[in-house]
Amino acid sequence: MLWYKAWLETRSRFLTCLATLTIFCAVFVGHAQGLIRPEWKTDYNRLLFVTQQFIVTMWILAVVLLGMGGIVRERAIGTSSLTLSLPVSRARLLGIRVGVGVLEAIALAVVPWATVFLVSSLARMPILISQVGFYVLLLIAGGSAYFAMAILVSSLVESEYTAPAVAFGLVLLTAIVFDAWLRPFNLWRLLTGDFYIDRHTYLISWPFPWRGVLASMSAAALMLSTSISVIQKREF
Amino acid sequence: MFFKLTPTTGHPLYLQLMQQIRHATESGALHDGDQLPGIRTLAEELVVSPNTVAKAYSELEHDGLLELRHGSGAFICVKRRTRSLADHVQGARRQLRDLIEHLREEGLLDEEIKRAFEAELLYPAEILRKR
Amino acid sequence: MTDTPVILTRNLTKSYGGFAAVQELNLSVGSNRITAFLGQNGAGKSTTIKMLLGMIRPSRGEGTVLGKRITDAEENRAMRRKVAYVAENKPLYNYMSVEQTIGFASSFYPDWRSDFATKLLNEYKLPPQRKVKALSKGMRTKLALLLAFARRPELLILDEPSEGLDPVGIEHLLQMLVAQAAEGVAIFFSSHQIAEVERVADHVCILDNGRLLVDASLDQLRQSYRRIDLVFASAPQEREFRITGVERIQTKGHQMSVFASGNAEAVIERARDLDAVSVEVAPVGLREIFLETVKEN
Repeated sequence: MLWYKAWLETRSRFLTCLATLTIFCAVFVGHAQGLIRPEWKTDYNRLLFVTQQFIVTMWILAVVLLGMGGIVRERAIGTSSLTLSLPVSRARLLGIRVGVGVLEAIALAVVPWATVFLVSSLARMPILISQVGFYVLLLIAGGSAYFAMAILVSSLVESEYTAPAVAFGLVLLTAIVFDAWLRPFNLWRLLTGDFYIDRHTYLISWPFPWRGVLASMSAAALMLSTSISVIQKREF
Repeated sequence: MFFKLTPTTGHPLYLQLMQQIRHATESGALHDGDQLPGIRTLAEELVVSPNTVAKAYSELEHDGLLELRHGSGAFICVKRRTRSLADHVQGARRQLRDLIEHLREEGLLDEEIKRAFEAELLYPAEILRKR
Repeated sequence: MTDTPVILTRNLTKSYGGFAAVQELNLSVGSNRITAFLGQNGAGKSTTIKMLLGMIRPSRGEGTVLGKRITDAEENRAMRRKVAYVAENKPLYNYMSVEQTIGFASSFYPDWRSDFATKLLNEYKLPPQRKVKALSKGMRTKLALLLAFARRPELLILDEPSEGLDPVGIEHLLQMLVAQAAEGVAIFFSSHQIAEVERVADHVCILDNGRLLVDASLDQLRQSYRRIDLVFASAPQEREFRITGVERIQTKGHQMSVFASGNAEAVIERARDLDAVSVEVAPVGLREIFLETVKEN
């Protein structure tokens, strides 16, 4: 029933973000179509590229929001005595929360893009499923670092409102830092495909940037294991 | 059977229960062969620990007033010895009644008489024998 | 009857910087007993309970609950399957309904008794569909207690269980505790309500400033503690009465009040030897025992 609990806890956040993202995409892409004709393929691809940029930004914010919660927050609201008296290990509690979050993150990437694909197909605009797949996979795998960061922050910072403030602050900070000094390592640019978009056709070119994505996933794994040990050592 | 235990007096509850059961047998409210409620039932009714009831029953069994039959319950057992004890108590009460009347005539209030009795009864028997 | 203690600690200590919340605690709580854990706020009761359940790590010392080491995460977790704990603030998840809460709790305990849970649900008159956040304080308390009673724990740990209940609720709680005890559940509860403790507890532990000051059966306390009020012809000497068992002496003019945790006979003898004009002995209720013990510390 821990999955059910984690779902109940994130349900409204998740559904709100999902609705926002999906509606935005549908409107954005659907509205722009009226100005585009099939021969303006490049412009349409460029539109999709811009859409991905929006999706990535909103997805990152949504996923950070979903990463909030957990037993550290429960201590602030007073229910940690109940959760921690359950015959369940702390690692499992965190693991299930992460599991639910990952499923929600995947849905947040897949559903909006599926909507874009649907809208495009209905309007008979050109859209390659491989491109959609590329964008989605890039987002989920590469973006895992952001989710893991949110999990780590929620395991360290106790107050109900300080934790999201710190998490969003870090997102902003990394955006600035990466943009100012570490351009080649800019995660946002990686996720939006900025590094390998063909400026003529506005299509993402293969091969899939495995190195960058794996680096992000390794960072995610590191942050998650740190979260687990932080939680295990903490006193409640 | 109505038992009333007062926890705040500082008098152990199991002793109070024992006294009340004894009193019931002496006054005739409980007869030989009557069944007392099970430990759990009585504990829940009086809202006291089951150990209290168990201890009272066990002590009374030791004194011969109660017979604990495994599985069936607790049964009153007024043996001849206990009956003469009951007579003894009746006699003592008559004496007490006379004494109390006498003390009242001397001008003592009931409260004062009661406190005097309680104070005297709290001296363990050993000290009094020493004097 | 040999019973291994359900809770056993050895020199259990918890310090926060220079402050010792719990000091060298040697607790032994028997099974088949109702043990009350008394202490002022901040005496270390909740800290002790949290150490037993693995929420806080002891600074020093060790302990076992149901034979499992409290400091081993895995053993502690296995033990928690058989221990029901209700914290002082009666925690519940606000976003769940009464039904969902019961369903949630039941999924963790294989010995959950659904019929009993349903019976309590009806007795407590808890609306199954209502969300916890919409429940009154009394109903929340009852629900939290229901979750603990409906499993078959071997040990029930309750922190101030009657807080938030009206007198009818308290009566029902005490009946429930007695019923659980009759079924063999060991009960360890902390309470500020001395009257309740005096009714149902078999054993009392008094904690003050992190130290265990009293650890005795309630009957033993009732049979040993005495207050002896003495009146003398001339001003009495306190040092004459500093005998074993005497905890506190108060003198006012020709009167002396002696509070003894035992050995009252010796005090009476001494009083008589010193030609006391009046000797009055009275038993002491738990409230006074607690207050005097804590004052003395």
